[in-house]
Amino acid sequence: MLARRYIYRVIGLLVLLLFVAFFGVPLLWLLLAPTKTDYQLAHQAPLAFGSLGTFIHTFNRVINYQGGLMLTWLKNSAIYSGGGTALALLAAIPAGYGLALTQFIGRRTLLAVTLVVMIMPATALVMPLFLEASAVNLVGTAWAVILPFAFFPFGVYLAYIYFSSTIPKDLLAAARIDGAGEWGVFLHVALPLARPIVALVAFFAFVGDWTNYYLPFVMTYTNSEYPVTVGLQILIGSAPIFSPTASGYAGSEIYRPDLAMATLIGALPILIIFLFAQRTLVKGMLAGATKG
Amino acid sequence: MATVTFKGASRIYPRAKNPAVNELNLEIRDGEFIVLVGPSGCGKTTSLRMLAGLEPVDAGDIFIDERSVVRLPPRERDIAMVFQNYALYPHMDVAGNLGFALKIAKVKKSEIKTRVAEAAKILDLEDYLDRKPGQLSGGQRQRVAMGRAIVRQPRVFLMDEPLSNLDAKLRVATRSEIAALQRRLGVTTVYVTHDQVEAMTMGDRVAVMKDGVLQQVDVPSVLYDSPVNAFVAGFIGSPAMNLVEGTVGSEGVAIGSTVVAVPRALKDTAGTGKVTVGLRPESLELAGEGAGIPAVVNLVEELGAEAYIYARLAHHVDQATFAATPDFIVRVNPKSAPKSGSAVELHVKPDSMLLFDADSGARITAA
Ligand SMILES: Nc1ncnc2c1ncn2[C@@H]1O[C@H](COP(=O)(O)OP(=O)(O)OP(=O)(O)O)[C@@H](O)[C@H]1O
Ligand SMILES: [Mg+2]
Repeated sequence: MLARRYIYRVIGLLVLLLFVAFFGVPLLWLLLAPTKTDYQLAHQAPLAFGSLGTFIHTFNRVINYQGGLMLTWLKNSAIYSGGGTALALLAAIPAGYGLALTQFIGRRTLLAVTLVVMIMPATALVMPLFLEASAVNLVGTAWAVILPFAFFPFGVYLAYIYFSSTIPKDLLAAARIDGAGEWGVFLHVALPLARPIVALVAFFAFVGDWTNYYLPFVMTYTNSEYPVTVGLQILIGSAPIFSPTASGYAGSEIYRPDLAMATLIGALPILIIFLFAQRTLVKGMLAGATKG
Repeated sequence: MATVTFKGASRIYPRAKNPAVNELNLEIRDGEFIVLVGPSGCGKTTSLRMLAGLEPVDAGDIFIDERSVVRLPPRERDIAMVFQNYALYPHMDVAGNLGFALKIAKVKKSEIKTRVAEAAKILDLEDYLDRKPGQLSGGQRQRVAMGRAIVRQPRVFLMDEPLSNLDAKLRVATRSEIAALQRRLGVTTVYVTHDQVEAMTMGDRVAVMKDGVLQQVDVPSVLYDSPVNAFVAGFIGSPAMNLVEGTVGSEGVAIGSTVVAVPRALKDTAGTGKVTVGLRPESLELAGEGAGIPAVVNLVEELGAEAYIYARLAHHVDQATFAATPDFIVRVNPKSAPKSGSAVELHVKPDSMLLFDADSGARITAA
């Protein structure tokens, strides 16, 4: 009996380890790659450690690439994602609240529509959005990226779930009786209680915007407008090893460790935000699991 | 302060077969403490929410003073409500909860402070003003909910089972506190409960509801002595009134094979045939052999000053309906209470019997 349980445990552990290895090894590789030169990367063992000096050197190369283009891209990403997230929150939180806790004609239909557009692949909308943006002369401006980012049905759905599962209707009734109008009820009672879901929606929106590639790729034209994701593509394009024809500018060749470093730099802001917001996020994700 | 009038007010929930509240007519006087009571699902909460403006009125009208309020949103009705689960704002401290309505009404900060302090003093909450509701006991939360209502100085108080989350002892203590507070403030109050003892002890008048229909509204003693129907008779009083089938004959009313005399005038209106006989536990007494309704004692409940016996009427013992027939409850002197299992005879005290129509349950009174 005891032996059997022991065996199950060992098997369970092995399975878990397998998964850890499967997903962990590539991450580890990515972290280690910038510590090596291009030659070392190609010839040493995959998980070998190069040197800290090389790591710093690679970092400087990437940051200074073409006079700090990487920083411009990061700044663009921050503007697009920040603006998109802010607008998405402004729309999604009140929308979720309205769908969950107020009564109006067409509520169910609107909820169904939200679900449908939520499961629709976002890339499917990029072309029509581009035509729309170009029709109103927004292409090439930050708005062409920010406004589509503001459309975030998943956030509406998350807010809807949160409001309908965690906020007792009597609480809103109490506020109405206490003299609050509908906006007062939302601002004074519902919103302060919705902090975890505001954080969660903001996080998902921000990550989605930050990592989005196709939309900004279509909506922006020049190096100085690109966000990090599109910039990475430019970097790959100017790496001789991946595209021998594109020679790039003299002296600014990009090598494979540089690409790994650029990827790390691009992902870092999200990691930092996650670490800071972790506790609130977990609260938001667990909301509704327990009462009160 | 104000009067409240329900005029044929009805509420039919979407897709519901029967109205949750059916043509409610009720006039509540200025400063009165009225209690709505009835079994679960009878429409008490719905009536209250209609008055509060949280539930639409599908037919009829509701007036506060002379003004119809059915088209006004809750915030324009100048009422305060205590919810069953208190509905305190979890993110505000006690002071914030108490002062919320005043803050919304843009009352000056200094005045909010005075009024909150005043209410906190009345309700003994001064030490908790900076705590969040989550850090309070059930009784303290209940007081905050009360306090939130009284700082408003509204025209009408509504309370929906405000004591149901308290333990028995605290409930009894709080019961009298609320009644005393209401009398002191003199604010018209509609209080909902399903506990008839609470209703009888607190209310100036009590309105008994069943299935969305108001059965009777009157002062507690009238409800007890002259219920309009078998439902009110059985609902009001603890232990409950005994209701048993009887047959009106020329001599009186036969319960089983025992004939109990009834006043001539009452018998005349009753006609002949089946009726429902209502007997309070104190309307019965133990009698000598051959002088009353034979019964067998199932259980004796000793309460110190008094005792109740739960007895099975002899003519019910062999009936098929045995299981469905409730015990007869009789109040007896604890010093001479019979043992359980013993056979007794129950004598009906003169003029204490109530008769109800066997079908409709309506009270039969002397013409
Ligand atoms: N939101 C609703 N939608 C549909 N039906 C409802 C709704 N609220 C209440 N009802 C129904 O209306 C009837 C009256 O309900 P109400 O809540 O007024 O009863 P109550 O007397 O307060 O009961 P309790 O003592 O259990 O609180 C019940 O049959 C209930 O099922
Ligand atoms: Mg109720």
